[in-house]
Amino acid sequence: MSVTELKECHSATTDTVNNLRDRLKQKRLSLLDTDISGYARSQGRTPVSFGPTDLVCCRTLQGHTGKVYSLDWTSERNQIVSASQDGRLIVWNALTRQKIHAIKLPCAWVMSCAFSPTGQSVACGGLDSVCSIFNLSSPTDKDGNVPVTRMLSGHKGYVSSCQYVPDEAAHLITGSGDQTCVLWDVTTGLKTSVFGGEFQSGHAADVLSISINGSNSRMFASGSCDATARLWDTRVASRAVRTFHGHEGDVNAIKFFPDGNRFGTGSEDGTCRLFDIRTGHQLQVYYQQHGDDIPPVTSIAFSISGRLLFAGYANGDCYVWDTLLAKVVLNIGSLQDSHEGRISCLGLSADGSALCTGGWDTNLKIWAFGGHRRT
Amino acid sequence: MSPTPEYSFAVEYDGPPLGYNLPRAVPISVDNIPVASVVSQVSSSDTLSLPVVQPLLPPQQQHHNHNLHRHHHPVNVKEVRTLDSEPRVSKELQLASEITVSPTSVIAFEHRTSQSNVCELSGELSSSGAFEFSNGNDGEFSDLGGSSRVPEESVGGGTGSSRTAEFSDSRVLKEDGNESLDFNESNRQDWASNESVLSLEYPSTRVSSLKGEEFDARRTVAVTFNVDDSDDASEEEFDVEENVTRPVRREPLTKGKKGSCYRCFKGNRFTDKEVCLVCDAKYCSNCVLRAMGSMPEGRKCVTCIGFPIDESKRGNLGKSSRMLKRLLNDLEVRQIMKAERFCEANQLPPEYICVNGNPLSYEELVTLQNCPNPPKKLKPGNYWYDKVSGFWGKEGEKPSSIISPHLNVGGPILPDASDGNTQVFINGREITKVELRMLQLAGVQCAGNPHFWVHEDGSYQEEGQKNTRGYLWGKAGTKLVCAFLSLPVPSKSSNAVGEQYSNLASRTIPNYLEHGIVQKLLLVGCSGSGTSTIFKQAKILYKSIPFSEEERENIKLTIQSNVYAYLGILLEGREHFEDESLADLKKRKSSELDTTGTSAKLDDKTVYSIGARLKAFSDWLLKTMVSGKLDAIFPAATREYAPLIEELWNDAAIKATYGRRGELEMLPSIGSYFLERAVKILRTDYEPSDLDILYAEGVTSSNGLASMEFSFPQSAHEETVDTADQQGSLFRYQLIRVHARGLGENCKWLEMFEDVEMVIFCVSLSDYDQFSVDGNGCLTNKMILSRKFFETIVTHPTFEQMDFLLILNKFDQFEEKIEQVPLTTCDWFSDFHPIISRNRTNSHSNSINSNPSLGQLASHYIAVKFKRLYSSLTGRKLYVSPVKGLVPDSVDGALRYAKEILKWNEERPNFSLSENSMYSTEASSFSP
Repeated sequence: MSVTELKECHSATTDTVNNLRDRLKQKRLSLLDTDISGYARSQGRTPVSFGPTDLVCCRTLQGHTGKVYSLDWTSERNQIVSASQDGRLIVWNALTRQKIHAIKLPCAWVMSCAFSPTGQSVACGGLDSVCSIFNLSSPTDKDGNVPVTRMLSGHKGYVSSCQYVPDEAAHLITGSGDQTCVLWDVTTGLKTSVFGGEFQSGHAADVLSISINGSNSRMFASGSCDATARLWDTRVASRAVRTFHGHEGDVNAIKFFPDGNRFGTGSEDGTCRLFDIRTGHQLQVYYQQHGDDIPPVTSIAFSISGRLLFAGYANGDCYVWDTLLAKVVLNIGSLQDSHEGRISCLGLSADGSALCTGGWDTNLKIWAFGGHRRT
Repeated sequence: MSPTPEYSFAVEYDGPPLGYNLPRAVPISVDNIPVASVVSQVSSSDTLSLPVVQPLLPPQQQHHNHNLHRHHHPVNVKEVRTLDSEPRVSKELQLASEITVSPTSVIAFEHRTSQSNVCELSGELSSSGAFEFSNGNDGEFSDLGGSSRVPEESVGGGTGSSRTAEFSDSRVLKEDGNESLDFNESNRQDWASNESVLSLEYPSTRVSSLKGEEFDARRTVAVTFNVDDSDDASEEEFDVEENVTRPVRREPLTKGKKGSCYRCFKGNRFTDKEVCLVCDAKYCSNCVLRAMGSMPEGRKCVTCIGFPIDESKRGNLGKSSRMLKRLLNDLEVRQIMKAERFCEANQLPPEYICVNGNPLSYEELVTLQNCPNPPKKLKPGNYWYDKVSGFWGKEGEKPSSIISPHLNVGGPILPDASDGNTQVFINGREITKVELRMLQLAGVQCAGNPHFWVHEDGSYQEEGQKNTRGYLWGKAGTKLVCAFLSLPVPSKSSNAVGEQYSNLASRTIPNYLEHGIVQKLLLVGCSGSGTSTIFKQAKILYKSIPFSEEERENIKLTIQSNVYAYLGILLEGREHFEDESLADLKKRKSSELDTTGTSAKLDDKTVYSIGARLKAFSDWLLKTMVSGKLDAIFPAATREYAPLIEELWNDAAIKATYGRRGELEMLPSIGSYFLERAVKILRTDYEPSDLDILYAEGVTSSNGLASMEFSFPQSAHEETVDTADQQGSLFRYQLIRVHARGLGENCKWLEMFEDVEMVIFCVSLSDYDQFSVDGNGCLTNKMILSRKFFETIVTHPTFEQMDFLLILNKFDQFEEKIEQVPLTTCDWFSDFHPIISRNRTNSHSNSINSNPSLGQLASHYIAVKFKRLYSSLTGRKLYVSPVKGLVPDSVDGALRYAKEILKWNEERPNFSLSENSMYSTEASSFSP
């Protein structure tokens, strides 16, 4: 087959694929008779209301000297790891607000960090294309730094996100600017499987975010600059289980819904969306007109029940969405003693009692119920 | 020129705006209304979302309109070009050529006047309504096809940039619903951009005309650049703090009774409390965590964070209290104490320390604290320091310690520094009685009030005499005597002082100092622009061990697998050539068959055929390559295949293919460098040389970010010229190299580099005839791609006030290439018409009198192109430096130039305008 024939063939196939994709989209649209908010409203549900003490800033964690880019809670203890542009990972005690570890990173341009399920080690990844693992109990060197325990190298682009597989401290999934996600074996430092990439069908652009299904840790979702989210099965690396279209910009953040059957996304197009992994449908768009410019969503998190969706925007807002009615019920960014500037990362504690936000003002803040509990 | 009918269209179009008296203002207001309706009709009659594609499909409908626009603008463009850009550029080139011939300012001045005429003229032209309008339409319709695009791009830098601005405008127009409003907006913006073109003309011509005289960069720059240097800022910070905060030491407010907790007002003076280091507030154990928060600077109230500590509490820094230990766990306490000791705010303010009567500067304090043998427990106060012997003491007192000598700290020592009255002098200081006693006990002859000269090793001599009289520390008793008289003795480590001081730069700097001292340089460029070469070159230049063993091993493997990849390309080419020549052969055979009628046996042997064994290997290699597993298999399997490769390389077929390597597009130009060394490289004992490493692709790890810290070694002549450079050696630079891809789509992660001091943007000069696939899958000129990337980075909000140094890399390749391939191959450079001197043969000699070579002219032209683009985007000056990435001195020169620019920014406020003209920032940039 000559080159021209191949090219013709290729363009024909591309057309077919696009055609099919369009038809699929049409079909989906025709099947989508309602969204969550429409249905909830028809059922007479009302939005959650927030009292003045229902969510207050109760701790400020100061200690970074650069923008905070990422944070993660431990699954059990009240510890938080945060990654900042000052080139440090700090492990915090969320209760006392004190630093437990301050780890100086070999590469200061860190984008993501994660706590292992056991809380024994932390991982971080960044522009150096390497995911570094630090064992917190390893002895410090003479300058008091925790040494790198293992370097997971092999990505050909920046490591945009990393997350440990729940209940498996030995496995970790990273998403990267080289359009792939990789499942790593931390103990050996080798790739277990690669999702997407040059010779497989996967994301067509940088992967920006990943999230592992909390109830079925074999499934994880990834969001990418190609404006799609993809669902993967860690046992089937060759192709994505499903591709979710809908966003009109980079998918900056992705997070599984607590029940594991849905996931939420936050995008450069200023919207958050909720997708169902079983049907592949888009269930809801969360979008509010901010005025003229549309601030991109930078990070999202769900409350433990799933009723609330916390979404940080590039303009410094941090909306609390009622997921049922698609209404903004609170703007954390405008609350008293909130961050100055952008809220860049969000995380809910494992028991759901506290929300931690990290911002470009170098601080982390912990938000929780601030009133008196009636028992 | 265009035929008359079109011209009449233009005239017809110009008709409506009647007020010809004020061609500048009137067309806007009049155009606003009629033009708005015309164009918005066009776009609304098309599908709303994609008006760019539509016009080609229904030509009848809008035929009229299109004709109008399309035929209209070439007229203008040509006018503009002939009047504006063409003469200017050629003049500049003349200028450039004349600089070297005779740098008299008379000619240059003439040029300047003539140029300013041109530029006025062009200014008038562009401000006239007709031009403006056509320009506006350019943006709308240039996507129609190549026909309208080609002439349009020849307009020159200024208009080109306004066009891109309009692209974005028109997109805004489509996205929004309200059309008339939008149009107004776009029209307004159009004006704004046009104005920027106008304003651009002046600075750019001014710059270029000044170039004729002596490239005075600073004068133009002084107005626009206000990037302050971090070090400068930190000094200022101290000043500010002193003025504002220090006198007002925060006094805590307490309403409770004396001795109670400042927060809950409970307890008494006997309850355990923690004290704020700044304001002296005391908190009980219940309140301390709430009041002090996460203690990022140690034990300070939340409100006191950032304030300098109470000096009387300096001794307590880093000493944990029982209460904290009770409240927090070990690790947490340790972190707090570490922060307390090392955070910037708690460091000793330099001006609190006077040495020999001079308050210290920031750098001096750093020098003092980081010398191998620093004064212990440095507290604010007045000190004297004997630089020759290293004696150190409080002013008016006997020496308290012996520190590292020869530190460049404070002023010269005063005779009465230690307030002695013995009339015996050591290194110009009148010593105290105790010291005199010590000298006497040590057996030094002190009769007749001698003046001693004591060196750091304890050897002493009388002033004005050559011979050493003895060693102070020579006798064992001396130290005992000193201990008895509580005089200092040299510490053991001070012996190696001299050599330790010399490699001051290579020692690690404590974290809290990093902020003011490390200056970050970001090195970016499109792939293939040679950023990695420059990075590697810098490593080789400034690092004593550029690559560790491990790195070298990795480099070796990378080079080896690269060679396999090149071989693969070669083998692929061979297959292709074989097929080709076989087909050729067949054709010839068949034609022979026809004529002769004899059935000759088809002999499928050609020059490109190889033996069966090699064929098998070749097939296998190609298969591995296609499946993308080359990286996985190869470096490991080298030992096995090396002999085969040798055989392959010596095969005639491969040699023949290699001869035709020019036809193998996939083979990078550096491929041949490695292929010719293939046999050597694929040996297991191969050790890559520095040159190999420089040539190699993809040596920096996995295309991620790479950074290195370095400081410029002092060259001999620099030391004599610049005494301030001694402190300059303290400055560390961090070169951060990022791949264009590494910044993410749309440079998403550029915001992470907001703290860099300067961006070094790398462009490969030899890219002007190269093509590459861009994001949309179109084949685009690599120079244009570079320009696009440059625009994106320059206009990125993160880098609003950033200095840019443009490195025009691969100047050596470019000089060769330009002789064969004209520069006009690249659309952007279509108006490059160099004046080629008649005696070209002399041009390669380096004498000053010769004309610049074509390569120099062209690189100058490209530099001007980029400069103009930059100033149109930012209104500032772009620094440019042509570089040969493979030549160490060239890279060194460019990086030193970067240092100079940074230094200038720092020192600019200290210089008056008249002084500025004495220096030339451009001088070092044009010494290729």
